[in-house]
Amino acid sequence: MTVPVAGATKHGAGVEPHGPVQDTMFRALAVLRFVVLLNSLGIYLWRYDGYDHPAVGWLVMAVLVAWTGFAVWAYAAPGRRRPGLLLADLAVAVGAIALSPYVKGEGLNATLPGFWVMGVVLAWAILWRWAGGLTAAVVVCAFDISIRQEFTQKAYGNIFLLILGGAIVGFLSGLLQEMAAQRDRAERAAAAAGERQRLARVVHDGVLQALALVQRRAPELGPVGVELGHLAGEQEVRLRGLVQQDSRDLLAPLGDLDLVVLLSALQTPQVHVAVPGTPATMPAEVATEVVAAVESILSNVRHHVGRDAQAWVLLESMGDRWVVSVRDDGPGIPDGRLEASAAEGRLGVRQSIVGRLHDLGGTARLHSAPGQGTEWELEVPRAGVSS
Amino acid sequence: MQENKLRVMVVDDHPMWREGVARDLTEAGFEVVATAANGKDAIARFPAARPDVLVLDLQIPAPNGVAVTAEVVRQDAGVRVLILSASGEQQDVLEAVKAGATGYLVKSASRAELVDAVRRVALGDTVFTPGLAGLVLGEYRRLFDTSASTKEDAPRLTERETEVLRLVAKGMSYKQIAERLFLSHRTVQNHVQNTLRKLQLHNRVQLVRYAIEQGLDDVGDGPGGGNADGA
Repeated sequence: MTVPVAGATKHGAGVEPHGPVQDTMFRALAVLRFVVLLNSLGIYLWRYDGYDHPAVGWLVMAVLVAWTGFAVWAYAAPGRRRPGLLLADLAVAVGAIALSPYVKGEGLNATLPGFWVMGVVLAWAILWRWAGGLTAAVVVCAFDISIRQEFTQKAYGNIFLLILGGAIVGFLSGLLQEMAAQRDRAERAAAAAGERQRLARVVHDGVLQALALVQRRAPELGPVGVELGHLAGEQEVRLRGLVQQDSRDLLAPLGDLDLVVLLSALQTPQVHVAVPGTPATMPAEVATEVVAAVESILSNVRHHVGRDAQAWVLLESMGDRWVVSVRDDGPGIPDGRLEASAAEGRLGVRQSIVGRLHDLGGTARLHSAPGQGTEWELEVPRAGVSS
Repeated sequence: MQENKLRVMVVDDHPMWREGVARDLTEAGFEVVATAANGKDAIARFPAARPDVLVLDLQIPAPNGVAVTAEVVRQDAGVRVLILSASGEQQDVLEAVKAGATGYLVKSASRAELVDAVRRVALGDTVFTPGLAGLVLGEYRRLFDTSASTKEDAPRLTERETEVLRLVAKGMSYKQIAERLFLSHRTVQNHVQNTLRKLQLHNRVQLVRYAIEQGLDDVGDGPGGGNADGA
């Protein structure tokens, strides 16, 4: 079953503008615009004596104030951030620079807008990323140089910083938006996965119900039904194991395995597994060895007791150790039978199981009596738990 | 045993399943007094239906089986709850048992097993699967382990109870256990019942303690008198 997930289709949106990130950056830029505007006004007043055309100067300042207010408003909404606005923004900055020699007279030290021009450079950088920031900075700098009669080291420093800043902020803006877009995609994927899992649980439960029903009702149909019910029963056990395993998967740390999950996977219509509700995590090599031992006991049950023999597996925590019991209801092993086969030089199941557990620092014990079935008890020490 | 017909209520959201179970139970001589497809209906119909046994699926539309169990047991301490679950999600089963259910069957259990389970639960027996016994053993261990750090008293099993419960978890019938331990069948039953009773009692005490800590100690006339869906 595939579930169409809204919004998960926008993939590889490298140049896709990211609204919330841009909004945040423009809010920060709005503050910066007012700061640099006050700075420019302050410097204008400070240097007020000796301007050639102060009236025009006031006019320019008034335009800068008005434009700053307008720009902050205009950039606030994503829908208004169009090329026209950015070009107009740049035109105002460039115009103010161009009028500076006329207002201040030849040999001016600083342009009228001064640092105010960084507002437009950063706006370009936010929207059009490094290319935008670089372009706006170069244009502003070109005008700045064109009105100067001498090119001082200080002017060079400012230009250098502006171009560098425009490009870097543009680059960072791009990076931030991409990362935010990636995060959005990851969040959507996680939400979709969660939803899928929820749906899967519903579907699984329905399938399990149906299988259980078939299993119960089918035998009424006669021999074919018995076979059907048997099949349904096998699938039901497997799917149930899978569902239970699913909800535990993420609990084991890396390099560890959850013995609860591994043992539950051994469940079949003949093999009943009882485990605690909490995970039994242990180093992967310990867990797989224990499971291998349990599997060889179970295969022994099938071999000696019968193909349809029932077996029960129980996992318990005993504080400082794990105990796995495997029991069958078979005829049991007659006294001396194992010793005899060992004497005949056959290694046998017992040695292999006892050896396995011994290598893990644990023990394996076998209780059996004729007519009372066979019971293995495997113990492994719990690492990191002081006894 | 010729008694009055046992009153049974069946709660399951799957119509075919619900009807199937109801039919099986009716054929077996029980009186199915009510059915419900979700938790809300189940709780609404329960007081009038007054069943002896509630056969309850855990995965039902809200409130879920655990909350329903808690609520009906609160209303009527005499009702027996038998959980039928398809997926047997371990934590849910354990929660339902702690909330007061005294029986648990996987849905694929045969009709005979179901009928037998309802009958036994009605008599006050506990119906365990080996899987549930494993869960309960694990829960006692977990409570014991956490009590060491929190200094709270955890419920403990006696040695005998542990022994019996382990044998149940290893798939032995009460009869087999009785033979192995030289006990009467009834004694084995009692030991098994105690393992659940202590857990349920502990659960109720925890709920009340939690309520008092939260300043919600006007829980009415006794433990569990608060809001039952506070799971």
